[in-house]
Amino acid sequence: MSENKKEQEIVEALKAKLGQSLLTARIQKPRRIFATVSPSALTDSVKFLMESHGLRHLATITAVDLGKDIAVYYHLIGGEITMNLRADTPKTEPKLPTIVPMIPGAELYEREVYEMFGVIFEGHPDLTHLILPDGWPENVYPMRKEWKTDAIKNEIAKALGEKLE
Amino acid sequence: MKNLSENTFSVPFGPQHPALKEPENFMFTVDGERVVDVKIRLGYVHRGGEKAFEARTYTQGLYLVERICGICAMAHQLCYVNNVEALIDIEIPRRADYIRTIIAELERIHSHLLWVGVAGHEVGWDTLFMYAWRDREVVLDLMELTTGNRVLHASNTIGGVRRDLTSEMISRIRKGMKLLKERTNYYKAMIPKERTLMKRAVGVGVLKPQDAVALCAVGPTLRASGIKRDVRRDDPYSAYDETPFDVITYDGCDVASRVLVRVDEILESIKILNYALEHLPSGPIAVRLPRGVPAGENVSMVEAPRGEDIHYLKSNGTDKPERYKVRAPTLANWPAVGAMIKGGYIADIPIVLAAIDPCMSCTDRMTFTEVNSAKSWQWSRDELRRYSLKWRGK
Amino acid sequence: MAWEVGLLALLSTLIYPGIIFLVVIALFYQWVDRRFYAKLQNRYGPIYTGPRGILQPVADLIKLLAKEDIEPSAVDKQIFRAVPVLILTMPLTALFMIPITGTWALASFEGDLIFIIFLMTLIAILAFLGGWSSTNIFSTLGGMRAALQALGYEVPMAVSFMGPAILAGSLSVSKIVQWQASHGLWAILLNPLGFGIVIVAFLAELERIPFDIPEAETEIVAGWQTEFSGRKLALIRLALDLELVLASGLVTALFLGGPTGPIPIIPGIAWFMIKTLVLVLIFSNLRALFARFRIDQMVSGSWKYLVPLSILQIVMLELLLGWLSF
Repeated sequence: MSENKKEQEIVEALKAKLGQSLLTARIQKPRRIFATVSPSALTDSVKFLMESHGLRHLATITAVDLGKDIAVYYHLIGGEITMNLRADTPKTEPKLPTIVPMIPGAELYEREVYEMFGVIFEGHPDLTHLILPDGWPENVYPMRKEWKTDAIKNEIAKALGEKLE
Repeated sequence: MKNLSENTFSVPFGPQHPALKEPENFMFTVDGERVVDVKIRLGYVHRGGEKAFEARTYTQGLYLVERICGICAMAHQLCYVNNVEALIDIEIPRRADYIRTIIAELERIHSHLLWVGVAGHEVGWDTLFMYAWRDREVVLDLMELTTGNRVLHASNTIGGVRRDLTSEMISRIRKGMKLLKERTNYYKAMIPKERTLMKRAVGVGVLKPQDAVALCAVGPTLRASGIKRDVRRDDPYSAYDETPFDVITYDGCDVASRVLVRVDEILESIKILNYALEHLPSGPIAVRLPRGVPAGENVSMVEAPRGEDIHYLKSNGTDKPERYKVRAPTLANWPAVGAMIKGGYIADIPIVLAAIDPCMSCTDRMTFTEVNSAKSWQWSRDELRRYSLKWRGK
Repeated sequence: MAWEVGLLALLSTLIYPGIIFLVVIALFYQWVDRRFYAKLQNRYGPIYTGPRGILQPVADLIKLLAKEDIEPSAVDKQIFRAVPVLILTMPLTALFMIPITGTWALASFEGDLIFIIFLMTLIAILAFLGGWSSTNIFSTLGGMRAALQALGYEVPMAVSFMGPAILAGSLSVSKIVQWQASHGLWAILLNPLGFGIVIVAFLAELERIPFDIPEAETEIVAGWQTEFSGRKLALIRLALDLELVLASGLVTALFLGGPTGPIPIIPGIAWFMIKTLVLVLIFSNLRALFARFRIDQMVSGSWKYLVPLSILQIVMLELLLGWLSF
């Protein structure tokens, strides 16, 4: 696999750096790496990837509802390499450290994930509504699997109804 | 910014505002004519796209993804088919790759010309707007000729493209490109010489290279700050691995550079188009697919006219995706806009905003409007009345 | 026969060359401006109402007059209602002092040029008041910009007006026209710079591109006019059209010899129309050429370039007069 040399290099370096905290790592295809880290090692690994391997561009943050957990993907890009760094957090109490101090461009993405999935990013400067309107019913995270249309609709009606009185 | 003088006040920009073609809200704190702070609120055109993907089959998603944005429809669709094709693990015919490249570049020219016009309009130069939009008609006509639609082309399918290019179409595209090249060269020569325009663009909305990187800006906005990043070169898809082109960068870091980057990119697109038309391989335009999409995940990226467009797909092996995430280029550029606007003039807001070529529809793409069972939910009249009552009650 | 004189005076004030005539040519010039501007931009402009769309401005005016007049509850009602009426009377009053049919204007007295300048200042102040009384944030900004802009263009404009006045030795517009007619010499020949400055200043006065800063659509919606609608807006729009006639008429009178010409058979009104039309076309052409300035660029540019140039023009004129010993 000499063609994926750079990818191999990054994975090896990450393994050496994180040790136990690196849960999985695979090179999906040329230029694409998927890796999972434990939430506690998230900021360290982002910092390491940024500084040692030049993966400075955060394309976006994706959250996926896995049922019990919420998986949060950080798509980090540097040159031609795209690193999809994943950290899982339990759905009952979803919490992750913020990466805004390292990558200011992450601000809006974290707010979006917060709104849609309810993941709290600890240390975020302004974790408020970005897309959903003010007065959005509390604890309704529309992108979570358990929230179906009708349920969301009812919640909004309730929120609006209360305000009418 | 600590000691604001007493006469600062807030100027709302949107959700409805003549400078914004789509609704979005910016709250500017201004001191006289100077802007001291900006707050962005998104979501006014949220349509629930991401949730809707989870309720649709892959074929239905093909058409939903186009409707994220009317202008970069091709870019989003291309990103989508790349994702699905990667999961199915099929190799699509080379001819289809080339046709995709051709349509994508036509779209880029259309988007950039549109933008040049809008930029003119934002600084009050409607003549440039009229001229650029007249030339854009050439591209739109070519789009209609090749795909059947002026916008929302629906030209891709999973496994190839839906329409072949005939030799007559190719010669018509060539003719159109010749005309556009002439017009674009005219703009390229004229714009830097037009002093009133340059007075409004040079040194306005400055985004330093280090800020551009830190704030994760993308596309022409990033390239106008001198950073050479282009998905077409870094992570080639379709036929971009074979087509030669230059990644245009300018070092001005201001609105003027963003104008020039786009004008030059039109010329590059014409170059790519001519190459692709020249080297268009023969063969089929689509392959038959195996049934179903295997479980797995994939990330694909496309250089949309406005910048890097990234989609994430997670499949669970059924006919509907488990999760589909879209991040359109405009969202990536919003943090940079804040940096560009602070310290500038109110009069510069429209042009600075316009300079990232914002597409609000791209930015907003998910709410609760449509979910499972493909049933669409809209506000009933009763709800609308209550909503309006609530507003009037204020 | 006193009543006949009185009737004639009344008719000439009301009909020709008074209010009705002025409104008609104001609407006609609006059509000319729109058509020419459209042609320059590769468009058609108005084409449907009347032959070649010539009745479009009339239709627009009637439409606006018939529309609902919405008055936001937060506005300062008295000023808000007074502004459209007052702003219409300003250019109309000023136009009475401009010779249109012959070398004499309807009203003329020594110093009426100063009075016209005063009326034009009032227009800017009214724009400011209109914006301020609307209490809308965009209107307020637009009104402030209108006032700021007036600070920029008024001084060079007034100084440039003095060129023809020095030539004629009078501050009456009619006398300046007569001087030019009797000497067979247009003031533009001795005041080319002044002419250019006045054209630029009038672009600003008329709030046209590149100086449409007080109503910059993409920045502050419609500026100071944002909250006006229906009848009020109709009056304001008519006032702006009349301002265009005033601008071209005043430039004609001061620099282009007024309603007189080298061929005596052609009546004065025809000369007036020809010269003002040319000026309207110049204004339209300039409108199509430029992007909008920023308010700070406009004001500083005006003080940096226009004011010194206008003073230079006066000095040059004095030297020239001394040399020619008029």
